[in-house]
Amino acid sequence: METFILIGITGIGLGALYFLVASGLSLIYGLMGVLNFAHGSFLTVGAFVGFWVASKMGFETSMPEFILAMLVGGLAAGLFALLIEQLLITRLYDRHIDQALVTVGVSLVVGAVLGGWFGNDLRMFPAPMWFLSAIDIGGAKIPADRVVYIATAVLLLVGNWALLKFTRIGLIIRAGVENRNMVNALGINVRRAFSTVFFLGGFSAGVGGVLVSVYSNGVSPLIAGTYLIYGFIVVVIGGMGSVPGSFLAAMMIGVIRQFANYYATGLGDFVVVILLAVVLLIRPQGLLGKVRA
Amino acid sequence: MLRWKYSRPLFGLLLALLALAPILGANPLSRPGLQQTMAVAFIWGGLALTYDLLFGFTGLLSFGHALYFATGVYVSCILINHDVVVWWLAALISIAVSALLALLIGAASLRTSGITFAMVTLAFGEAGHVIIQRNFFNLTGGENGIALNADRIPSFFISVVNTKFIYWAALAALTLTYAVIWWVTESSAGRVFAALRDNELRVQVLGLNTQRYKLLAFVISAALASLLGAVMLIAAGSAAPRFADAGVTISLLLMVVLGGAVTRWGAVIGGIFYSIATTRLQDLTQQESFKTIPKWIGGPIAEPAFVLGLLFIFVVMFAPGGLSGAYYRLRLRAITKKSQ
Amino acid sequence: MNALSVSDLHVKINESHILHGVTFDVPAHKVTALLGRNGVGKSTTLKGILGLYPGTGSVQLNGREIIGVSTYKVVQFGIAYVPEDREIFSSLSVRENLALASRSKDNGAAFATIFELFPELDSRAAQIAGSLSGGQQQMVAIARALLNKNEVLLIDEPTKGLAPKLVTEVASALAKVAHETTMLLVEQNLALVKRIAHHVVVMDQGRVIFQGGPENLNDPAWVHQMLGVSGGHK
Repeated sequence: METFILIGITGIGLGALYFLVASGLSLIYGLMGVLNFAHGSFLTVGAFVGFWVASKMGFETSMPEFILAMLVGGLAAGLFALLIEQLLITRLYDRHIDQALVTVGVSLVVGAVLGGWFGNDLRMFPAPMWFLSAIDIGGAKIPADRVVYIATAVLLLVGNWALLKFTRIGLIIRAGVENRNMVNALGINVRRAFSTVFFLGGFSAGVGGVLVSVYSNGVSPLIAGTYLIYGFIVVVIGGMGSVPGSFLAAMMIGVIRQFANYYATGLGDFVVVILLAVVLLIRPQGLLGKVRA
Repeated sequence: MLRWKYSRPLFGLLLALLALAPILGANPLSRPGLQQTMAVAFIWGGLALTYDLLFGFTGLLSFGHALYFATGVYVSCILINHDVVVWWLAALISIAVSALLALLIGAASLRTSGITFAMVTLAFGEAGHVIIQRNFFNLTGGENGIALNADRIPSFFISVVNTKFIYWAALAALTLTYAVIWWVTESSAGRVFAALRDNELRVQVLGLNTQRYKLLAFVISAALASLLGAVMLIAAGSAAPRFADAGVTISLLLMVVLGGAVTRWGAVIGGIFYSIATTRLQDLTQQESFKTIPKWIGGPIAEPAFVLGLLFIFVVMFAPGGLSGAYYRLRLRAITKKSQ
Repeated sequence: MNALSVSDLHVKINESHILHGVTFDVPAHKVTALLGRNGVGKSTTLKGILGLYPGTGSVQLNGREIIGVSTYKVVQFGIAYVPEDREIFSSLSVRENLALASRSKDNGAAFATIFELFPELDSRAAQIAGSLSGGQQQMVAIARALLNKNEVLLIDEPTKGLAPKLVTEVASALAKVAHETTMLLVEQNLALVKRIAHHVVVMDQGRVIFQGGPENLNDPAWVHQMLGVSGGHK
């Protein structure tokens, strides 16, 4: 039973990481129609910046210090995302395929630059001691880091919900996801909402990047690739444009992957991929997605 | 007429020269080193063209094309190594397997479109990649792949001296691929592909079964990719999981966009250029003079993705037609100037 | 004084030349009806004025040239739009739909006026707009156009698809507002047009074929010739 709980919570922890990547992807596609392949780069940028901050503090960071590293990493990634949006995406307005292609280019360039500067090998990102301490849940000893991932993801989900429900920009985003042109026809510059969404997506990917690096015990430009693919899988299964959908799908996929891997190493990836194919063929708009016009 | 009247004869001449070069005496292509590079470049050129049939001509953005290429490589390798059939029959069987696989996967995936289609094809492609890597049934050799058993293939493919036969095989495969795709796109089916790219609804309204045409494009491109995979097996001497990587499909996308998605020769040039550029860039970084460049510039340049990625961004933003698009724009300007 | 002056407006949509030099005026503080058979370009004209479709020519709002200006800016200059298919946001509540459209600092006062005109929206303010009936959705669409102080209201077939009782309600609301606003109204319902229009513009095949008073609407022969399903005109 303890193994069951351990695997389950690890799965949810992994799902939390996927959600951090997926939430930004989902909103960006939902509102702007942009398939952002550069999202993995945001993750990597956040990871490297967070790594740098943590190294300046000696890695053995207390909780507030670690949170600081996460926030700085997220901020750096968010600003980078904003830069990409302003420089490249806005100039390709309504050319959705070209926008997607340009993000592919960005991901290649960023990966190459970071790989060129820092090398592609894993650079050790030791987790602070308190990360490794175990918390007793239902008889199983759960490593604290899983709790951190889940807590961060939940905070993000709640924060996202609050933003969408209570702020004007959130209202504009919600309306824009449904009908972008009409928002313009109401006198609102919907492009400002685009920039906000891109920044927020970058921020959450950056925060996710810091956590992913600790989870993977190191930073490397090569890690982002898997998380980007999983991010897309989560967004598609959860439903494009639906952040709660991504949360649900992310948790499901994290848990399923961990259980599958427990029975046979490597089975996890395979099962998730088949699950994606199956979901798409049965319900193309995903769990909570709206059929996009 | 956008096509320059001498372009076809010149192209024929070029092809003849390329074919004869290895035996024409002292020219760059008489050396095995360049022959090997060009052989690989031809294979990528052909692969890019098969991807162009899907994406450039029919408007199907697939992220799982590498799967069919890898199927060609692996099925041929396994059949040859286990002495099941003679080498050329193994290649043919691998094409058939790929076509069947594409038929099944295509029938399922093509019920979706757009981004969903891209994700479904990615899923199947990655599934294939994982199967190869995890060495299911102990057939695929896992992470390290399988070395081709040199005893089972004709001696004219072995040893450095005989590289020209690999070169010729690759050139032949590229030519065959080009011929098939030229024939398909010029046929009435080809016109439907182009119409599908622009407006699927309009095609449906004409009473045509769009599903069947899309599937046709899908299967043909997969079969040809498999042929090129079989040739790659001989050129590389082994089957490896990297052939099934999603990164391969991304590279194909780059090649097609760089060369020009709507023209056939554009895609081929894009593939050849990309392949050569990657190899040359790697050679460049080994040079002594390169090592003197400060690391913050030299580091990124050493990664092919940097230069190619920047070029790709530039092309998408400012020259969406790629190389061939630019060429035709210049042609148009030249023609209109002539008529003034 | 004309609130809106359209001059030689050409609009192309995907290679189709829809508007061929549309020219007409919309006098201030009056209701101008834009009439014509289906497909002549009435909706396209409204969208061209707003910049939702790119166009060439001249569109002047109180003397200010707005052709080529981004849609959101055009709307901020004081043009409100009620589109043909309402296009309210079905995932938002009624109140949120209105709040989105409002440009005033104090929503309280603006909303109060609206709820006076449409009391049913007041009682359903928290309801998700997607669950409203067609008529109620139409009220939301019109209400949000009336929230801000606007120079011109562009309204596209507000009574389309509504039951007769609702048509009357919408007509009353529009009539009440007609006194203080400039309205350019596309409508097929001639009874409504006769009731509130001061000025009539008729279009055919992407051009204006008549501008003048609404008296002719009482002449069945004229109506048949201008708006009937005949095979074109001379």
